[in-house]
Amino acid sequence: MKLKQILAPLRSASPRMRILLSVAIGALLLFASGHVDELRSYQGAQVAIYAIAISSIVLLTGFSGQISLGHGALMAIGGYAAVLAQIHWHLPYPLTFLVGGAAGAGAGYLLGIAAARLRGPYLAGTTLALAVGLPSLANQFHILGGEQGLSFDIGTAPTWIGNDFSQYRWFFWVAVVLALAVYWLLRNLLSTRYGRRWRALRSNPTAAALAGINVARAKVLAFTLSSCVAGLAGSLFAMLLGLVAPLAFTLTLSFTLVTGAVLAGVSNLGGSIVGAVVLVSIPELSNAISSHFGGSEKVTSNLPGVITSVLLIATVLLAPNGPKFPTRRHQ
Amino acid sequence: MNTFFSTILVGISSGAIYSLMSLALVLVWRSTRVVNFAAAGQAILSTYIGYEAMSALHNYWLSLPVALISGALISAVIESFIMRPLAKRTQGTAVESIAPVIATLGILGLIRSLVGLMWGNTFLQYTSPLSSKGFTVGHTTIPFSPLNAAIVVGAAIVLLIFALIFRFTRLGLSLRAASFQPEIARLSGIRVDRIRTVGWAFAGAAGAVAGALVTPTSYLSPNSLDLLLVSGFVAAVIGGLESLIGAVVGGLVLGLGFAFILQYIGSSVTFSAAFIILILVLIVRPQGIFGARSTREA
Repeated sequence: MKLKQILAPLRSASPRMRILLSVAIGALLLFASGHVDELRSYQGAQVAIYAIAISSIVLLTGFSGQISLGHGALMAIGGYAAVLAQIHWHLPYPLTFLVGGAAGAGAGYLLGIAAARLRGPYLAGTTLALAVGLPSLANQFHILGGEQGLSFDIGTAPTWIGNDFSQYRWFFWVAVVLALAVYWLLRNLLSTRYGRRWRALRSNPTAAALAGINVARAKVLAFTLSSCVAGLAGSLFAMLLGLVAPLAFTLTLSFTLVTGAVLAGVSNLGGSIVGAVVLVSIPELSNAISSHFGGSEKVTSNLPGVITSVLLIATVLLAPNGPKFPTRRHQ
Repeated sequence: MNTFFSTILVGISSGAIYSLMSLALVLVWRSTRVVNFAAAGQAILSTYIGYEAMSALHNYWLSLPVALISGALISAVIESFIMRPLAKRTQGTAVESIAPVIATLGILGLIRSLVGLMWGNTFLQYTSPLSSKGFTVGHTTIPFSPLNAAIVVGAAIVLLIFALIFRFTRLGLSLRAASFQPEIARLSGIRVDRIRTVGWAFAGAAGAVAGALVTPTSYLSPNSLDLLLVSGFVAAVIGGLESLIGAVVGGLVLGLGFAFILQYIGSSVTFSAAFIILILVLIVRPQGIFGARSTREA
């Protein structure tokens, strides 16, 4: 329980302390980024983006008790919105991220209205249908660029930040700063009355309703906010890939995010980073394994899926409340 | 014969497949209160086994029962070794309703990757001896083919056998009792756990037949049944998720709807159409055609 003792002051830190901590962690990471190669910077950016996307699921599932298998599709909406905003409105890139988040929120609001009437399996099925169906929409509308997608370029780092700044290091900076901002915002939001409402909702919807909580409204709000975060993650994902295309936002992405959230311990916001690190290291691990066995194309392309799924099943079976962090009892 | 009637025939043919998939989901839902998203994975695995059987026996028709039996076995194994222990562990906890959904997703992902590992991610041809070229009526060729006719007949036979088992055998009665009132069923001497496994096995068989019948119309790959899963789910929701007849009717309604959309609007909107139909059903009649009002509370 050493870890718990170390983390205890973090959990109870005041909002102002948390800002300071976030800034300190951010500065440390950004400093470290100067001393690693391009691949690590790329993976670091990937971790930050996954952490944002996973925290959107943690918010939804862990705190309001709704489940979504379609957050990959919401990321796609955010990504496409950001790219379209750049192409057609010529917005500077920080604003395109906002547009991505806003588009996600809009889509999430509409979906949330339907979702608030639905429990577990219905919501899961509906969002699954979205995840399967949405990417194919890109092929139908000329404006979305079809199978090839659209390219997205936020440019290189501004000169005042440093001269020989590599592309991925710059992406890493952007992603880390936004991830910390999102984490800080969500963390604080969850300790307001909204957070308490969602937790009440998750523990016992009937009791929450009796206590005067508007269950439907709280659920829609949670879904909207979660989709907003997913949309932001989607636009960052587009930044990292340099493009948006239907193949980037497959059903597998949605599943991967759920896996990350489960590995994070579904109701643990800080765990998002753990989940993200695991997700990013799985392909590395599986490459190592498959090259050890002189892996063919079959092995290299399918082993990550096997590892992810086995991890997911094992976690759900052995520690349904998430690994490492036992759920705290809600009094 | 005009376009209208041939569209109806095509709709019934694809509807028959959706009915089977929807039945696979409804059977599991009734017996264990889980929407089995792994159904697509189980069906893909059994279809690959059917494909192997066809390669070995050089006969499509003999591969169908092989696929059916392996589908039932796969499903029973998943229920006994993963879903049942999970249900016992999470009973009464906050994750009771979420954990099974996540577990079925994990199983879907696992089977898909394992199938990719075994057979590769390439498109395979699992063909039937029947022509997929439409019948010729008078001077025109209609979209309805001998293959479509075989699909309708095959699905109808399986559905009929299921209906007979459920209606007239002791096993069918136990299955219905165990899903309707598990406690009372247990008191009257039914081994509810074992019966649940049997329910999953029936579901696996239905999904396997759906996979083996639909695959000759396109190709076989580790994720070629994803759309079938979504269609099956939409059909199950249309039917009310509770009712076996509802599952079949829901499948036919969806098949006809798709066929008319395909004929009169175009193939590009099918995916979005499934989603829109689902949302409309959930908003207008969330309990489905055959569902009771209270069944929405999962």
